[in-house]
Amino acid sequence: MGATSVHRTIDAVWRMESAKVIAALARYTRDVGLAEEMAQDALVAALEQWPVEGVPKNPGAWLMTTAKRRSIDQIRRRENFNRKVEEIGRDIQEATPDASEGVEDEIGDDLLSLIFTACHPVLRTEARVALTLKMLGGLKTEEIARAFLVSESTVAQRIVRAKKALADAGVGFAVPEGPDLAPRLASVLEVLYLIFNEGYSATQGDDWMRPELCAEALRLGRVLAELAPKEAEVHGLVALMEIQASRAKARTGPGGEPVLLLEQDRGKWDWLLIGRGLRALERAEALNQPPGPYYVQAALAACHARARKAEDTDWQRIAALYQVLAQISPSPVVELNRAVALSMAFGPAAGLALVDEISGAKALQGYHLLPSVRGDFLAKLGRTEEAKAEFEKAAALTRNEREKALLLGRAAACG
Amino acid sequence: MRFMVFVRSSKPVAALHGDGLLRAGVLLDAGDLVPGACGVSGYWLIDVRDAEEAVERVRRIPLPACVVEIRQVAVV
Repeated sequence: MGATSVHRTIDAVWRMESAKVIAALARYTRDVGLAEEMAQDALVAALEQWPVEGVPKNPGAWLMTTAKRRSIDQIRRRENFNRKVEEIGRDIQEATPDASEGVEDEIGDDLLSLIFTACHPVLRTEARVALTLKMLGGLKTEEIARAFLVSESTVAQRIVRAKKALADAGVGFAVPEGPDLAPRLASVLEVLYLIFNEGYSATQGDDWMRPELCAEALRLGRVLAELAPKEAEVHGLVALMEIQASRAKARTGPGGEPVLLLEQDRGKWDWLLIGRGLRALERAEALNQPPGPYYVQAALAACHARARKAEDTDWQRIAALYQVLAQISPSPVVELNRAVALSMAFGPAAGLALVDEISGAKALQGYHLLPSVRGDFLAKLGRTEEAKAEFEKAAALTRNEREKALLLGRAAACG
Repeated sequence: MRFMVFVRSSKPVAALHGDGLLRAGVLLDAGDLVPGACGVSGYWLIDVRDAEEAVERVRRIPLPACVVEIRQVAVV
């Protein structure tokens, strides 16, 4: 195996094993930051040794053993923690598998604890996202930086600060229970959906989509669904992401321009992902829990997915589902979407009435979709001059170049 | 990237301990094929970042003596 080939294998092994290694180390050290550093040390050792000595038979176990040994060394160096070192060090040595034994796959609880720790609400949103991609996705700092169009040093600083914030706040490495579970789970789901959405509708840059972020969020969601199978909202989020991801190839035209949902070629939808999304929705429904926001959004996405043609869409059901969503998760953006559904179910005047009702909401000021949607209703009502002004206003507000071009095109079409 | 993993084995795919693929969030589909002359065959359809990951994922499955073929699914 050549050096390049070995490095590609190391990359693959790292992506697969890093989260498990960090999670197992964090259980012993009670320090996620240290665990991540020691796992990185093991990666460096692999990069040095494997090209020379060959890839070990069980590379995951090799990484785990190396990282654990380095953790013991590191902890032993900390003079003030001698007593703790002896206790933890003994635990680690007793539990350290021989490299030939293989890494235990049954570390679900550790992995779940790591997910909850990386997404702890004590962290700022961008820190939770960076930490999740780094520790659970196995992405390198430069990959995260590239995905979010920020500098590598910015991401590195976010990660360092996040680890310090976790240590300062004394965040325990455990799966939350009882009343703590719901808000902590909500924080995890929020992070996964943020990652997915940044990939699905990039907020900055020339590309409308960054598929690698969608794929990573989806994979982490599927992992979470297996680790927490009794949480309906987890299945709801997975269903939502699967169905949205199914439209990826239909969302852009040949020039990379966005294609709106109702104008998409449904033959380009990924029916495998739609099937998976619908099954995830069924898993959520089978748990008989009160509907959460992700479940309702997935049910909305499923309404579109079930319609083979745009004109078959059940808009009345969609409007009703938005009503439910507005009750459990009220926001002007939900109302804006409800306005679109009302317009499709009952005509543009019904939608325009709701839009005008909510247009003063503070949260919608500067939000490009408000003038975009209003422009669409006005155009359908034949009020083209007002529609043109709205589309131009929306184009000035969006930061995405592709979307701006689409909106300016609609403005020009108004004459 | 999607990869189709064909397994030619005397056992059905469900008995081949591919649970790790499910837990890793990469398994999209799995099934058995109509038995051929060389024994029962089945498949896993996985979604991973590259061919190396596909190989490493399959390598971790404790498969009995069997023939495995990993092929990338063409993107249309």
